[in-house]
Amino acid sequence: MEYVNPEGLRLDGRRPMEMRQLRAEIGAVSGADGSAMFEMGNTKVIAAVYGPREVQHRSQMVNDKALIRCEYTMANFSTGDRTRKPKGDRRSTEISLVIRQTMEACILTHLMPRSQIDIFVQVLQADGGTRSACINAATLALADAGIPMRDLVTSCSSGYLNSTPLLDLNYVEDSAGGPDVTVGILPKLDKVTLLQMDAKLPMDIFENVMQLATEGCKAVANYIREVLIQNTKQLEHRRGV
Amino acid sequence: MGGSANGATDLSSEMEVDAFRRLFPLRFHERHLVESVRPDARPLGKARETSLALGAVGSADGSALAKIGCTTMLAAIKMEVMTPATDAPDEGCVAIDFHMPAICSPIVRPGRPAEAAPVVSKQLSDTILSSGMIDLKELSLVSGKAAWMAYLDIYCLDADGALFDAALLAAAAAFSHLQIPVVSLNDDGRIVVVSKQNEVEKLKNKPVNEEKRKLKLKGIPFALTCILHKNYILADPTAEEESIMETLITIVLDSSCQLVSLYKPGGPALAYESVIQDCIALSRQRVRELQTILNEAISDMEVD
Repeated sequence: MEYVNPEGLRLDGRRPMEMRQLRAEIGAVSGADGSAMFEMGNTKVIAAVYGPREVQHRSQMVNDKALIRCEYTMANFSTGDRTRKPKGDRRSTEISLVIRQTMEACILTHLMPRSQIDIFVQVLQADGGTRSACINAATLALADAGIPMRDLVTSCSSGYLNSTPLLDLNYVEDSAGGPDVTVGILPKLDKVTLLQMDAKLPMDIFENVMQLATEGCKAVANYIREVLIQNTKQLEHRRGV
Repeated sequence: MGGSANGATDLSSEMEVDAFRRLFPLRFHERHLVESVRPDARPLGKARETSLALGAVGSADGSALAKIGCTTMLAAIKMEVMTPATDAPDEGCVAIDFHMPAICSPIVRPGRPAEAAPVVSKQLSDTILSSGMIDLKELSLVSGKAAWMAYLDIYCLDADGALFDAALLAAAAAFSHLQIPVVSLNDDGRIVVVSKQNEVEKLKNKPVNEEKRKLKLKGIPFALTCILHKNYILADPTAEEESIMETLITIVLDSSCQLVSLYKPGGPALAYESVIQDCIALSRQRVRELQTILNEAISDMEVD
């Protein structure tokens, strides 16, 4: 199957180095301490952050830092076929763990000992790149909640089909059987916090593909910064500053 | 009892409003009720601002996003073909499920589903199926062999009181938006969904239900939840009001103002018949409002 046609256009009309349209909204859930809705093309996720608050299971409390908990769930109708088990299945558990460890690396947990920060992510529509969209949404939600972080965490995926590195794969491209590299970085510090890949790829091509994903992450970071600045301006305006 | 009340009045003159609201919530609300108003400046019988958006989920056959104040519900319907039951060969089936994911409220914890979720789920299921809004015979494809199973999933994205009202509104809107997929009988005698790419197959096997794409809904039910506290009736409570004044009464009327369901699950306040009549009157008004909002949302969709 042709994923990149001879003119260099992908199945959805994008160029190989083009990302899908990004859209973010802060404050999607009124009852949460921080929340955000993030869209990458047709992939829509909502993240809500509750915390820092009292640890729910006393036995798990840590005396010198905050406990981070993360749960990733998909809505029944988010994928093409209706999923029967959107929560406890292996994929959801794995992604919950990945998101937790990624965010834990950048939250300054030592500032909030004996407390708990809950990050809940709900996928409303899945069209590839759900992992990345969830991390981006979680970053925005944590910023909205005012939780101290070392840097933003942004994530993007890339792949290699028809001998072309492609940025930001959608569901069709993802299920094509080619490699799928997901990168999560701290943009200002220029450090990699998440790197996952499946399928085979020669080392030199892998470097190109990872570089492409990293640039995608930086583009997402610029967008997220803009959204946060807009949000702050609005808050200032409401306060009458 | 008297001592602590005096203690509260002494403190109330010095305290900040937010602190008073957290420490003495009942007194805070009662001070407002005496002036016939609520903390968010609504009169007692008025519901919050309601909005509806149809087609919120692109991948579903029918969907809607309903917001009453901050309470947000996302409903989506997915259709699958199944064999009908032997005792009802001409009828399809509707399965309704209500979920409260952990994002919706600070009291919902992962691993421990919210207490309200299965209660609202059952209430919704009973109300929708018994109201006769959907004629199950319309969901039949081939008598005795194939019929539609409609899975309705409602997700609460933000829980701020009146969950049942918002969920019912979202469900009714999703059914109004539903487009039944076109199917045809393929050579093995199986029902196959005709997708836009199968142009060749479309010519070979004539679609079974080309004409019947939308459901005819009659008597759409609309709900209003009220809180009873002493002599006051508060319509459309927020989560804060629901947690302090625990007596809820939910009234469901259909578009011709016939009573579909009345639900008062106990609670410390007892209701005289006159109180129930007042609640029904408030519901009648609310049904008219909701009907207008639903019709506007449907006509907006059709313009597109």
